[in-house]
Amino acid sequence: MKLRSLYIFHLDTGACNGCEIELFDVLTPYYDAERLGVRLAASPRHAHAMAVTGPLTRQTYYAAKEAIKAMPPKPRIIVAIGTCACSGGIFYNGYPIYRRPESPREGQEYPRRGGIFELVQDLRDEGEYVGPVVYIPGCPPRPEEILYGVALALGLVEKRAKGEHYTEEAGFELPEYPIEERIRLSLRERLKYVVGYFDREGILRDFMELAGKAESVEELHRLIEDYCLRNPDSRISLAMRVLEREFLRLKEKYGWEVGMNAKAPQGEVRGVQVAVKRDAGSR
Amino acid sequence: MAVTLKYPFVKLEAPPEYRGIPHIEPRLCIGCGACVNACPADALLKIDDHSTGTRKIVLDVGRCIRCARCDEACPTGAIRMTRNFEVATLDRSDHVEVVELRLHRCPNCGNYTDYTERALEKAFQILPEGLFDKEELRKKAILCRNCRRKLTVDDTIEASREVVG
Repeated sequence: MKLRSLYIFHLDTGACNGCEIELFDVLTPYYDAERLGVRLAASPRHAHAMAVTGPLTRQTYYAAKEAIKAMPPKPRIIVAIGTCACSGGIFYNGYPIYRRPESPREGQEYPRRGGIFELVQDLRDEGEYVGPVVYIPGCPPRPEEILYGVALALGLVEKRAKGEHYTEEAGFELPEYPIEERIRLSLRERLKYVVGYFDREGILRDFMELAGKAESVEELHRLIEDYCLRNPDSRISLAMRVLEREFLRLKEKYGWEVGMNAKAPQGEVRGVQVAVKRDAGSR
Repeated sequence: MAVTLKYPFVKLEAPPEYRGIPHIEPRLCIGCGACVNACPADALLKIDDHSTGTRKIVLDVGRCIRCARCDEACPTGAIRMTRNFEVATLDRSDHVEVVELRLHRCPNCGNYTDYTERALEKAFQILPEGLFDKEELRKKAILCRNCRRKLTVDDTIEASREVVG
């Protein structure tokens, strides 16, 4: 049966309200799900589909079961909105979450169990018809994702997601960087506390480029000053200065002669007393 | 009229800072399991099979809450957040991404160790130059835990015999 429009009943099975907010966004004029024929129904008796949010708590389990049984016998589509409804999400091993006895909380199975799957499986075991389940992961999914999922249920768009299984044949590469790997990892860890994960890789890449180019500490400092002038974003210039200081500290700790273009400084560099070059092999 | 998005019928890019689903780049993954330890929702799994000598790193996007902790923890940058958000599907197995790697095999006793061959290579890359004798280290580091202990004891006994005798 080809559906032309979809009457959806929204059922909350213990969600944190994040997915609800996104679901109501979908009905605003900006996203306007009604142009796809989607309307919210007031009762499960009027609904083709049930939009389920939440990780399916024990308390809501029976109500959700009744609600799905109250739907017309076909098509009974389930739209699982959010990671919680798909597989339990962050609440996957919580004590109030309903799990079937055969899907353990700490299992190694994949795809991961939990969420509305447990209820659908129970209903199918009881002989009730339950139609296809559209899984829309996201925590919460943005309105476009929900629109995409609903359009997928209506057959308006193609499926894009595809499971992958890679083996060793995919090849292996160990990238080389202008600075030593252990120093790079230390800097990466330090940078996490300054800029977070989002800008980190880009800033570190730029810094490594400068550090590889620099012949001496003074030149590195000059290059970084130039870089900060070119990028007026104060967060980036702060991160670069933190990186420079940390880099000098680590170099001082691990030795200057070790795989480094920059020469060891003599005497005092900008107020920091740095030692003259040592033989790295002697330690 | 102009307000409404034409989304499912036109292509749409997420903004650059959007946290979409993560993706594992199999050429960079060393199978260390740092992402598995970091994941709060258990969307990542590390499944070792010592009989066949494989390790599976499994990512289930349907469990992922997109907190990007795996991205922070990964030492090689193999697992990255993408801007892809069109992952709705009717089949949950479409959400699973598996990277299957070989475990390192001890050349002395033939048992599989708890780390992959790639992780060993990465460890050698991280080691500083000049601090250790790398060739000597490479001889010992490729052994499994039991063989290494045995070798150390044997070496110690031999050395003490030389001193005594």
